[in-house]
Amino acid sequence: MKAVILAAGEGNRLRPLTERRPKPMLPVGNRPVLEHVLEAVADAGIQEVVFVVGYERDRIQTYFGDGDDWGVDIEYAVQDTQLGTGHAVLQAENFVSEPFVVLNGDRVIDDSLVSAVVDRVWDGESPVVSVTRVDNARNYGVVELDGELVHAIYEKPGVDESRSDVINAGVYGLEQGIFDAIRETDTSSSSELELTTTLDAMAREGGVAAVRYSDYWLDISYLWDLLSVNAAVVSQVDERAAGEGVPDAAVAAESAHVAESATIQPRVALGDNVSVGPNAVVSNAVVLPDATIEAGAVVRDCIVGENATVGPNSTVVGGDARIVVEDEVHRDVRLGGVVGDNAVLGGGVVLDPGTVVGNHARIASGVAVSDRVPSGAEVRRG
Amino acid sequence: MCGIVGYAGDEDALPVVASGLKNLEYRGYDSAGVALLDGDVDVFKSSGEIDGLTLPDRHDASIGVGHTRWSTHGRPTDENAHPHTDCSGDIAVVHNGIIDNYDELKTSLAEDGHEFRSETDTEVVPHLLEERYDGEDLLAAVEDVVDRLEGSFALAVTAVGYDGLVVARRDSPLVVGESDAANFVASDVTAFLEHTQDVVFLEDGDVAAVTGDSVVVRQDGDSVTREAQTVDWEADSAEKAGYDHYMLKEIHEQPQALRQTISGRLDVASGTVDLDLDLPSNYLKSLEEIQIVACGTSYHAGLYAKRLLEEHADVRCSVEVGSEYEFTGGRDPWRTLVVAVTQSGETADTLRAMRKADAAGARTVAVTNTVGSTAAREANDVVYIRAGPEIGVAATKTFAAQVTTLSMLTVAIGREREALAGDRASTLLRNVRGLPGAIQQALDDADRVRETANELADSDAFFFIGRRLGMPVSLEGALKLKEISYAHAEGFAGGELKHGTLALVTEDTPVLATLTDGANPRETLNNVKEVQSRGAPVVGVSSLDDAESYLDVGFDVPELGELEPLVANVYLQLFAYHVADALERNIDKPRNLAKSVTVE
Repeated sequence: MKAVILAAGEGNRLRPLTERRPKPMLPVGNRPVLEHVLEAVADAGIQEVVFVVGYERDRIQTYFGDGDDWGVDIEYAVQDTQLGTGHAVLQAENFVSEPFVVLNGDRVIDDSLVSAVVDRVWDGESPVVSVTRVDNARNYGVVELDGELVHAIYEKPGVDESRSDVINAGVYGLEQGIFDAIRETDTSSSSELELTTTLDAMAREGGVAAVRYSDYWLDISYLWDLLSVNAAVVSQVDERAAGEGVPDAAVAAESAHVAESATIQPRVALGDNVSVGPNAVVSNAVVLPDATIEAGAVVRDCIVGENATVGPNSTVVGGDARIVVEDEVHRDVRLGGVVGDNAVLGGGVVLDPGTVVGNHARIASGVAVSDRVPSGAEVRRG
Repeated sequence: MCGIVGYAGDEDALPVVASGLKNLEYRGYDSAGVALLDGDVDVFKSSGEIDGLTLPDRHDASIGVGHTRWSTHGRPTDENAHPHTDCSGDIAVVHNGIIDNYDELKTSLAEDGHEFRSETDTEVVPHLLEERYDGEDLLAAVEDVVDRLEGSFALAVTAVGYDGLVVARRDSPLVVGESDAANFVASDVTAFLEHTQDVVFLEDGDVAAVTGDSVVVRQDGDSVTREAQTVDWEADSAEKAGYDHYMLKEIHEQPQALRQTISGRLDVASGTVDLDLDLPSNYLKSLEEIQIVACGTSYHAGLYAKRLLEEHADVRCSVEVGSEYEFTGGRDPWRTLVVAVTQSGETADTLRAMRKADAAGARTVAVTNTVGSTAAREANDVVYIRAGPEIGVAATKTFAAQVTTLSMLTVAIGREREALAGDRASTLLRNVRGLPGAIQQALDDADRVRETANELADSDAFFFIGRRLGMPVSLEGALKLKEISYAHAEGFAGGELKHGTLALVTEDTPVLATLTDGANPRETLNNVKEVQSRGAPVVGVSSLDDAESYLDVGFDVPELGELEPLVANVYLQLFAYHVADALERNIDKPRNLAKSVTVE
């Protein structure tokens, strides 16, 4: 059986981190989310995988190649414009010839979920939708169940409409008929062709089976989720810890370089070719490849982008913040700050909690910044 | 240059040999052929690419050899394709290399009544074997015959009456792969990586009998032991991963390749590197000269390193093309270090130069990508560039990895010679560490490079200019474009333009200028003005903040000191690729070329 993994999406709410890479390539525990998905698929015994790629697909293709490192064969189906998950599934039509599973490439899941869906599809059931319970159900597709059947799927309902805390877990078992069903789906109410719209219509006719799942299900909707999901994954993989001075609940790539006098606290992931200078303190942080944290810097509750530089004695204070994302206010979220890809903080820069510095931005020495600094901007003292 | 693959085991040989050939296609692609042993020998061969070779759907043989050819003796025709057989058709031979005395052997064999069907040097081998082979002991027959051959060869032979293959090597690469179920032979491990990573590199003079369950290696008639090694390359690297061409895939792999190149080797803070070299400090201090020998793209990497070595290691450095190298000029061999730069470690011209240096008494260091290669084994020391396998014939990521490795070597030598202060070493290493991130930024701009290339693809000619470290990059940019687009391209020092070539500059000859740190950009900008006033479109790869007004198209290089030209080179790689793509060239298999040039 083949697995089709949807990895073409951009992830608007995660800018600036998704300006140069697709959301599935965000690293948790030093490995892209998509790699966690691929491993769940491989652990479930699936050896043939189709990645539906689009936005910044070079990053995915370069990282995963043909899948040999994971013991699977990866083929690439290209979705040139991102017109929804249904449209994405259609791109895989020529790659599958028997029942198959579809997964979102941006959710960290356990392989037992994949196995459960695979079993049901082998038993001849289709379509199969997996469901799980979460606290913030209204951010996702809420599913109404009727015993072992799906009664309806509501895509991101408002507070009022939300009648259930059971959501669509994003792993589906499908067969060939789904392609025609997607094409025949009424799209008049939306510009995008969502797989859930098609499945909702099928569910209302009583033909969609549900698979319940209760193990971990981790999604990165907002920048701060990256820190919590990373922390959850890092604490699971502590046997991977490498490098002197790196505590159990932190990971450092083999090629990362940590000065002896630096302090790495738990819930930290240091990527390839990262350098942490003397006396620096890093805590609850995701540090992407090639980034530099200079001597004496303090980096807490922070995401440091690829090839970014946090100058000497700069401080990301850390703690809770109030952050506005797409006109929506989020209070008390734990995000000390984000330093975008290739951004440079000079010496002694201070980031207030919740500061998001865009890609390629340059902050001059000694400046205290808060809120958002757009990508490419230069901030001087003044 | 020519690829050999062979299989002996329990399974069907045909699919293994066919996929092995496909993996070796980069070594040559003007003819291909397969011989399968199943009671008798069946040969399938033709001129043209491997995909054009007609093979049976299935075949019961469990022993087979295959060959993909890059012509040296005889044009690419069906007859000249390998395998070659004897008069009886019971002995099949594939060969990589050149047999120098084939003319006299052929004459004498013809006098004895042997009929020749091809113009190749190779065909003498099966006929010689026919004279010696008793129908059972193929190993003894091959040992006899190789004694009569002069020149270079890797041979694989299969014959009726023998349950396996016999292979022999002299000055051409040959590697044996071992697994429980079967054994393999090939010119390069990529041929069988999907089946096994456990390999034995044969040495010059070795003759080996390879059957399904044993490998026996002999040298001068005595059994010898060759240590088995594990190659940690993934078979993966021999596939395209959704890219249209290997070359584009490999261009995009550069950040990760360079992270591998530098991993665990440098300490920025202390300004030191650890390349695991065994060069005594006193020896390095006594050096009067470093000679770099290399060919093609590796030669350009050598030119880049020359500037770095002279400046940071305070030692005279010369760079010579491998085929032109002589150890002359009153040099003291004890005070001369010869650095051979070769991706494959099998480049015949470079190996020849290395051997000349060795014979003169100079110490040699190989800078190569290939573990177990001839250069790695013959040099006194070796530094691996760790770029992973490169399949595209046009070298891209290995150039970046070579320059990166040579930059680290510069620091190692400069520090030992006490010519390079810790803070300057630290600055250079900081820039080395910054390469993956900087190159990724160039890759992020690939769409704009494609647009520019599409606009300029039909130009009459292309000129690449740059000074100092921008000069080797200009040579390399022009070479890439020539190799894969077949456009006329020239690279040279910016200052040389007005001494002749300016006469060729017109509105239809774009000029690509490297305007970065380490490349005297202000002076090159004057050359840009010279060509612009003659109407030539100018593409600048620049880290100057005020160059835009002189450029028709500009690409930004982030700050990286003396390594900025190496980042600029990535734009030139992408430019060459997209020009070739716009012209619909066969990018991974450019005409007349092959990777790993193992003939002189």
